[in-house]
This record gives sequence, C-alpha cells and structure tokens, in this order.
Amino acid sequence: MNQSIYLLEFKLFFRNKAAMAGILILLISGFAGLYFGEKFIRQQDIVIEKASQTQEKNTGTNLKHFGKDPGLFLYHNKFSMVNVPDRWAAFANGQRDINPYLISVSMLAVEGQIYDTDLVNPSTLLLGNMDLAFVFIFLFPLVIIAFCYNLLSADQESGVWAILKSQSGALSALIWRKFSVRIISVFTVAMVLMTSAIFYLKLPLDGRLLLILTLLSLYLLFWFSLSFWVISRGKSSNYNAVLLISFWVVLNIISPAILNVWLTQQYPVPEALETLVKQREGYHEKWDLDKSKTMDKFYAHYPQFKQYPFPSELSFSWYWYYAMQQMGDDEASAGARSMAEKLNKRHDFTNLTALFLPGIQTQLRLNELAGSDLENHLKFQQAIKAYHEQIRLYFYPVVFKEETLANVAWDEFKVAQYKGHTTGYVWQNLASVFILSLLFSILAVYNFKRKTSLF
Amino acid sequence: MKTIFIIARRTWKTAFSNRATIALTLILGIALCLATFIGWQNFKIQNSQRLKYKELVREKWLEKPDKHPHRMAHYGYLAFRDKHELSFFDFGIESFAGVSIFLEAHKQNTVNFSEAGFSNGMLRFGEMSVAMVLQLLVPLLIFFLGYHSISAEREAGTLKIILCQGVSWRQLLSGKTLGIIAVSFSLFIPVILLTVLLWAMLSNWQVSMDASLRLVFLVLSYAVYFIICAGISVLVSAFHSSSKSALTILLVLWVFFAIVMPRITQALGVILYPSPSKMEFSAAIASDLHKEGDSHDPDDPHYAKIKADVLKKYKVDDVKKLPFNYGGYVMAEGEKISAGIYNQHQRELNKTFEQQNSFTVAASYLNPFLAIKNLSMALTAADFKTYMDFQNQAEAYRYGLAQRMNKLQIEKISNTAPGEKEKPLSISRSNWAEQPDFQYTFQPVSSVISNHFWSILSLLCWFSGVLIFLNISSKWVKTI
Repeated sequence: MNQSIYLLEFKLFFRNKAAMAGILILLISGFAGLYFGEKFIRQQDIVIEKASQTQEKNTGTNLKHFGKDPGLFLYHNKFSMVNVPDRWAAFANGQRDINPYLISVSMLAVEGQIYDTDLVNPSTLLLGNMDLAFVFIFLFPLVIIAFCYNLLSADQESGVWAILKSQSGALSALIWRKFSVRIISVFTVAMVLMTSAIFYLKLPLDGRLLLILTLLSLYLLFWFSLSFWVISRGKSSNYNAVLLISFWVVLNIISPAILNVWLTQQYPVPEALETLVKQREGYHEKWDLDKSKTMDKFYAHYPQFKQYPFPSELSFSWYWYYAMQQMGDDEASAGARSMAEKLNKRHDFTNLTALFLPGIQTQLRLNELAGSDLENHLKFQQAIKAYHEQIRLYFYPVVFKEETLANVAWDEFKVAQYKGHTTGYVWQNLASVFILSLLFSILAVYNFKRKTSLF
Repeated sequence: MKTIFIIARRTWKTAFSNRATIALTLILGIALCLATFIGWQNFKIQNSQRLKYKELVREKWLEKPDKHPHRMAHYGYLAFRDKHELSFFDFGIESFAGVSIFLEAHKQNTVNFSEAGFSNGMLRFGEMSVAMVLQLLVPLLIFFLGYHSISAEREAGTLKIILCQGVSWRQLLSGKTLGIIAVSFSLFIPVILLTVLLWAMLSNWQVSMDASLRLVFLVLSYAVYFIICAGISVLVSAFHSSSKSALTILLVLWVFFAIVMPRITQALGVILYPSPSKMEFSAAIASDLHKEGDSHDPDDPHYAKIKADVLKKYKVDDVKKLPFNYGGYVMAEGEKISAGIYNQHQRELNKTFEQQNSFTVAASYLNPFLAIKNLSMALTAADFKTYMDFQNQAEAYRYGLAQRMNKLQIEKISNTAPGEKEKPLSISRSNWAEQPDFQYTFQPVSSVISNHFWSILSLLCWFSGVLIFLNISSKWVKTI
C-alpha cells in the first residue's frame, strides 16, 4: 500500500516537465564538469610527465657548455619540483590554475624564484573552472529549489489541496512523502554522478571518499531543509521562488563577494612586495660591500663551510657570489615569514566566516581534501625551499673546493615530487552544516505542526 | 505614445506600491553605495602600496654607487602594475593578474603576486563591486519586477479588457517595458550620480578627461543593458500563460547566462586553443635562440660573422684592439636577438590567449551579460588587453634599460679587461639617473573602443533586437 503511494508520487513528480529538465540539467552539467575538470588535471599530468625528460636534456646541454666551471653551471642549471595533482583535484580544481604546479629553481636565491607564476590567461582565471564541485555547490541547490518551492503552494493554488485535506487525515505524512520523493531523486542523481566520478577520475575507495560523500550529502540536505522551511511558511509559489533564490544569491554570491573585498582590505599583503625588494637588495648591495662582511654572515649561517679557504684576493669568485646570493634569502626571510603569517590570518578569517556559509565552506573543504587549496601550495613552496637547501648543501662544497662535476650523483637531483592534502577543518564544517540543516528542519516541522490546519 | 506613458506610469506606481520592491531597491541601493566605498578604499590601499614600493625602487636605483654598468643591468628594475582610477567600479581581472615584475638583462620574468595567489579559494565566488551589483543583481531585480507584467494581467483576465479598450500589443509591451526601465533607472540614476560624486570627491576633484569619458560610456552601456533586461523580462512574461512559468524561465535564464555560461565558454576556448606550459614556452624560445646562434660557442657562425664584420670595419685583427668595449657590443647584439625572439613568442602566446577569450566575446551575441561584462572591464581598464599592454610596456622598458647599460659599457668601459686580482671596472653613479623611472600609461578611451568593437556591437545588437521584437511580437503572442 505504502509502496504504491510512493510510486504514484514519483509518477506525479516526473509528469512535471520541470522535474525531468532539472535532472537532465544536473546530469549534463555534471558530466561536463567531470570532463572539463579531468581535462584540466590531465594537462598538468602531461606537463609533469615531460618535466623529467626536459630537465635531463637541459642539464646535459648545460654540462656541455659550462661543465668545466661548476659555479657557472649552477648559475644556469635548474632543478624542478612538481606538485603532483591528487586524483581528487580533477573533482575540485580549486586554486590549481592560479598557483604554479611546477617550479624550477637554480642555486641562486630561492626567494627570487619560487613566486614565479605559470603562463596563465587571467581572463580564464577570473571566470573559473567548470568542475564537478562547481555543479554540486552552485547548480544542485538551484535544482533543489526548483523542485521544492511549489511543493505545497502549487496544490493550494490549483485547488487540489482542499480536496486532499478533506479526504486525507495525515497531511504531514503527505507532505513528507512529496518531499522525500524529491530528496530521493536528487540524491540518486548525485550518486550517479559520484559513481561516474569514481570510475572516470579513478578515485580511490577510501575514508576520504566517505568524508567527501558525507560533506556533499550534508550540503544538499541543508538546501532541502532550507526549502522545507520556506514552504512550511505557506506562502505563494512566486513568493517562495523569490525568497529561495534570494537565499541562494545571498549565501553563494553576495556574502562571499562582500567578504572577499573585506578580506583584501583588512589583510593586504604588502609583505610580498617587501620580500621581493629585500631579496633583491640583500643580494645586490653585497657587490659594493667589503667581501669579509658577506663572508662573516655566511659563515654564521653555515659554520661547516669555514673549513674551505676563501679566495679573498680574487676580485670575483663563485664562492663569494653564492654567499651573496645566500644573503638575499637570509635578509628576505623575515618578510617571507610575515607573509606566511598574514596568509594564515586570512585563512583563519575565511574559515571562521565561512562557518555561516555552507556553500563556501563546502567548497573550501573540497579543495582542502583534493589538495588544490592555498595551504597545499604553501606547503609545496616549503618543500621547494627544503629541496633547494638540499641542493645548496650538496653543491656548495663542490663550488668552494672547485671540484669537477664528474662525480655528482645526478640521480639525487631528478625532478622532485610533492604530494599532499589536509583535512584541517572538515569536522567544524560537518558540524556547522549539520546544525544549520537541523535548525531549518526544526523550524519547518514546528511551522507544519502549528499551521497544517490553516493551510 | 500617450497610452504607452500611461501604461508605464501605472507599472511604475504598482511596482512601488509593493513593499518588497521598495525593500529590494533600497537594499540594492545600499549595496551599491557600499560597493563604491569599499571599491575606492581597496583602490587606495593597493595603489598606495604599489606607489610606496615604486618610489623605494627608484630611490634605491639612484642610490647605487659607482659600478660596472652590466651589474646595474642585472640589478634591474621592479615595475608595479598601476590600477586605473576607475578600477574601483569594476575589478575585472585585477585580482587575478600579477602586480609586480622584475626587469633584468637577458631574462624576461613573469608578473607575480596576484591577489588570487593569496586567496584560499573564496575569491572564486566573486568580488563585490559596483559592476557586480549592476551586472548580476539589478537584472535579477528587473526580472522580479517584470515576470508578471503581462502574465498576471492574463491570469487576472484584465489583459483582454486592456486590449479591447484599443490598446495595441505594441503599446502594451512598450509601456510595460518603459515602466520597468523607469523603476530600474530610479535606482540606477541616483546611485550613479552618487558614485560619480563620491569618485570625484575622493580623487580631490582632480578628474581626467579620459576617465570622465570612460565613465560616460560605462553609464550608457549599463543603461542599454538594463533596457535589454527589462525588454527580455516583459517578452518572457508575454509569451507565458502563467506568471509562475515566466518567473521560472527568467530565473533559469539568469542562472544560465550569468553563472554557468561564462565558465563553459571560457573552458571551451581553453580546450580549443591550448596555450603552452611555461616549460614548453621556454623550450621553444631556447630552441629558436639556438638556431640564431650560440654566443657561448666560439665557433658559432653567427657570432663569428659579427666578430669578423666588426674587425673588418675597424681594420684591426683582434677584438682587444677595438676602440670600444667589445663585450658590451656582443651583449647588445645578443639582447637584440633574444628580445626579438622572446617578443615573437610572447605575441603568439598573447594571440592564443585572445583566441581563448574570443569565445566569450562571440558568446556575448548569445548572452548580453557577457557583452556588458567584457565592455565594463575594458572601460575600467581592468581587462586582459590592458594587462597585455602593461606587459608590453614593461618589456619595452626592460629592453631599453638593458641596452642603455650595454651602451654605457661599450662607450665608457675600457676594452682591456682587468686582471683577476685587480679592481673591477666601473663608471660613475651619475649615469644611473639617465634611466627614467618606469611609468605605465593607460591606453586612451578611443583605443578601448576600437579594441572592443565586437563587444560594443553585440550590446547594440541585443538592444535593437529587443526593441524590434517588442514591436513585432504581437504577431505571435496569445491573448489568453
């Protein structure tokens, strides 16, 4: 009995052209999102694959030209490190288009090299990528709104409600039935898309998948509970549509837009330009200073290199040159640190404010879990700095002793890889979206309990 | 004509008798004022930051002691991208484009430190600016006002009565559209006046002719855009039997045009016109450079020929006997070749980027939102073309600096290199002031208009299309 009523409700729901249209829109845009997201990451994978070959070739050429002079060779030769995209990055491209994923550094000051961007079209960055995460964050709520806004009011406006009311006792059960039909439909579409994503993007079946599924489900439930609350107020279809769209616009467009300008204004990052200037001055001014000043500071940083005799009588030596370069980094390090602190402050601010904006926080958590957020990039930069330090420690003695490059273990300096993602704020996010959903559901149930007789 | 005005006035009055309309208009008005203020604050903070470092860079440059000019060429210059004073109105690509570029000899660097690089992803949801409110939210208000303009009359049965009273469809549609335009303008005009006033006040009444012209074009474009939106909303309402379906269609159009379509067109452009990665780009340049000749190879035919030509011209048998610094001469030659090759590749890259963007321009014939978006960015100098222009001017400056230093080396540095243990050669620091400061100059508004001809045309196409359709649609539209 119960089953057949559900079947009838489904039939009723799908007789509506809007229902089929909504589901089709979600499926088409979802598959488009999968395609574009995957294509974007595949492009990066291809470049990364080529990187080791290119580096090997370039190193060979450099060895041919400058091999006899290690100092000059290291001036020209570059060592690359790549930020390997996670499989999930194809699902949520995040900031991977803005931040470079392949950085090549020579043994010169690292601060002058790691901020170099990739060749990007700023217009593309502005309009953003179309990945599956975008479909979930922006389009699913709209379809949920389209499915729900007239759930009650359509029947009231067509006069069907009066008949239903006189014939059926359990009105709340009826509303719930209609509502669950919509929930089931939307979740089925979501599951179809996620299953396709698992196969198409080759996502690993692990705890992270479960976490992301929970995140997305909660986000969709939030929109259902919000819609539920709006229809529980018993206003007209048009009123509901306008109100729900306004909610969508405020939560997903206006609030983040205001927060962004607020953030830029409250937390400007002059430290970036400061670091740039400091690094450049820190190195270049040493040309005009007494060599011993540079060398004293250099030995204070690396006491272990004191054992190599410094050719102070020469007007130029690579020994001196790399010590000067090192000063560029040493003098910019305070700026770089305060830049990192500023970015952390920004991060905290966004995460705090996003607690009230389900769309933003879900997107931020997806980026985090997919390793395509700013934090991932900052860690990548740290990894490059560490790699650069490793290169220095290996090659400084070679240059200082004027050894040949013949004995270098080149295998240790192949293209280095960085991989990683964080789960930092995911529990706060789950809790906050859950509480928001619960709040609207309770309000809705309260409205229905109080007012069903009035409808 | 009179009938049209009567209908328009009626529409206007009904709209403002609705409390929700007044509330929405007020909210949008406040949002616009807020956006102007924040936009200006942002502009001031960012610009003063860039100005501060720009002055610092100049000061440090002039302070440098006596040096070898080639050291100065490597010390190089830092250039910062200026924000146009109108960028408070529309942020455009501003936050996604780099801010600073290091200009040095032999090497072309990227423009680094964009605001987007400091963002953890929220920036992707957009930034509040006057342009955003006008492009996204005002049309939404217009759609809310217009969706029931005709269909409600039809539902209430008053449509038949109006048409029976001798009002033609054309008059009815024009009147309703005019009424909605009037409502949106009653929000738009005061706010724009306020914006202009605020802008003039904040820039201490020092407003340039070019910027004022840009602003006039902006205001006109937005006015046209609102008329298009009002026309669309009335037409959609006329062709739908119920207000509900008209509202649904309008909302779907809004979401599709403003949120979904821009991403798709750009993504398609990127896929169809792929741009090279940085590594491929540098490799292509390196291989072209290699073809031209290898300055590190003593037997390279190209550089050997340069050497032979110079020796012949000055009738000497060794470069050491030349009356000028031969090292500087070779470097100047090398810089010329490498800069030429680099510029050619950069031009190709920019062409690829423009081809990617051309999709969005072409799509503006299907989507008026894209038309106004492109045009607004261009008029506020926050578009890709301005960014490209900055890169070109910075590269020209870099080349000029490198060649000036090479020239100083050729003319003022002895051709006999000092010994390994001798003091390096240098020239007086008084030469540094010869190199002027980097100053970016914005393109005049006339070139903006010729560069964005297709976007302007698309907006005009939409405008005339809507007007024509309002006049001839009576043929198809149904009364009941």
